[in-house]
Amino acid sequence: MIEVIGLSKQYGGLSALVDVSLRVNAGEMVVVLGPSGAGKSTLLRCINHLTLPSAGAVHIGGEAVPTDRAGLRRLRSQVGMIFQDHNLVARMSVLKNVLAGRLARMPKVLSLLQVFRDEDVRIALHCLKRVELDDRAWSRADRLSGGQQQRVGVARALAQEPRAILADEPVASLDPKTARIVLGDLKRASRELGIAVLCNLHQVAFAKEFADRVIGMHAGHVVFEGKPEALDAQLLTHIYPGLEESSSTDAPLPSRQRERAEGLGFAS
Amino acid sequence: MTRASHSFILGQPWGLRQWLQALALAAVTGAVLLWSARDLQLSLHELIKGLPWMGDFVSRMLPPNWQFLHRLVRPVVETIHLAIWGTLFAIVFALPLCFLAARNLSPNPLVFHLVRQVFNAARGINEIIFALIFVAAVGLGPFAGVLALSVHGAGMLGKFFAEAIEEVDPGPVEALRATGANPLQVIVFAVLPQALPAWIAATLYRIEVNLRAATILGMVGAGGIGFELYSSLRLFQYEDTATCVIVILVMVMTADYFSSRLRARILAR
Repeated sequence: MIEVIGLSKQYGGLSALVDVSLRVNAGEMVVVLGPSGAGKSTLLRCINHLTLPSAGAVHIGGEAVPTDRAGLRRLRSQVGMIFQDHNLVARMSVLKNVLAGRLARMPKVLSLLQVFRDEDVRIALHCLKRVELDDRAWSRADRLSGGQQQRVGVARALAQEPRAILADEPVASLDPKTARIVLGDLKRASRELGIAVLCNLHQVAFAKEFADRVIGMHAGHVVFEGKPEALDAQLLTHIYPGLEESSSTDAPLPSRQRERAEGLGFAS
Repeated sequence: MTRASHSFILGQPWGLRQWLQALALAAVTGAVLLWSARDLQLSLHELIKGLPWMGDFVSRMLPPNWQFLHRLVRPVVETIHLAIWGTLFAIVFALPLCFLAARNLSPNPLVFHLVRQVFNAARGINEIIFALIFVAAVGLGPFAGVLALSVHGAGMLGKFFAEAIEEVDPGPVEALRATGANPLQVIVFAVLPQALPAWIAATLYRIEVNLRAATILGMVGAGGIGFELYSSLRLFQYEDTATCVIVILVMVMTADYFSSRLRARILAR
């Protein structure tokens, strides 16, 4: 369960998030819709404190996100994250990329020596089987197609055996058919494993198809929350002002510029 | 016959100001070049006067003394050994420090600048100077040469290693941080796999450079084939000198060839 209470984030004088509160229950898939720059990414990144929020609280499974390093790492190990461009390590095997999801639970020294418990390997392979890629375990990650790489990204998140998954535009660079496969993977995992999934999307059609609940964001504010069936043309123009000028309500929005974090962030 | 009209186009059209600036720059450059040429006593006249002596020198080198070859076997092997251990020690020095010298991993800017300056100092001083220092410290012989190559090489490799880390894609690094992995795990699982090919390429290049440097270390008594080269010159055995030069050329070119092919293959992976 993810619970966000009064979350705000300011960059200098710019407000990216304004008093956002929401709740995602275990086994529920909630889709966040909104135009580029609405604060969807910032919201997700604030939840696992990859970006530090300016104000507000986040609870995962009833526990507040700790501020000390060790506590934060322990909490992050319970929250899977899926990225737009999957962020796999290209030169590593598919299996090792998935095993990387379990690093926080492994004996540290052994993991640095590339020695893994059979139990961890078994779980990694099982997660690969879930996304139907267990036969590619020993391929190098960059030998896979874009869709397959994103499915490995899903497997890496599942290997964490997480309480929650944050998916930041997971299908923005995939074709519609592959996108539906990846979202299907996520939805099934959420249902069967009781994981709270919070997923940013561009495509309204996918939200209607896969979401249990939809949250609409605009300019850092939550402007809609409800069942996907409730999404009508009027509501959509509320989330996407100016949308009525485009020909189709289902047209994907221009892809968000990738936000590159300053450095690798060990200093902070 | 009609005369075609032409335009001289470099970039945007220049006004009077730009032309004056260009003229001033040309004048200053010319003055500096003239001054330095005088300082160095550059003289075409002297060069032409010296040509017969050069011809004489070359003719004394010919034919190369192939009998001398068998005495070069041991120095050649020593030169190669120097290059190998010089590189190895350089890696040992550079590896632990390079993480601190990478802008994206360094714990704070002070440490970053400090380690970078240490690398710069090691890189800025020539191997021969280090060799002179180490000969004084550990005595004549190849060990002084190994130490000289190690310190200078550590400066170069450290800088290359750190730059390779800075060029790593931050995406996977962030992904692993988001799984709760600790900083060491993030380095081993996200940074190293990305930086390793560049590291190996830099190391191969360093072996190549070390082999070249190792051919002259002998001149200051720090081992390798340079000693034979230098003594044959001093004993006026120019046919022997020629053999040394040819052997050095073959060694360096062979190393260049294999190193550059190997590097191209590794970086393509």
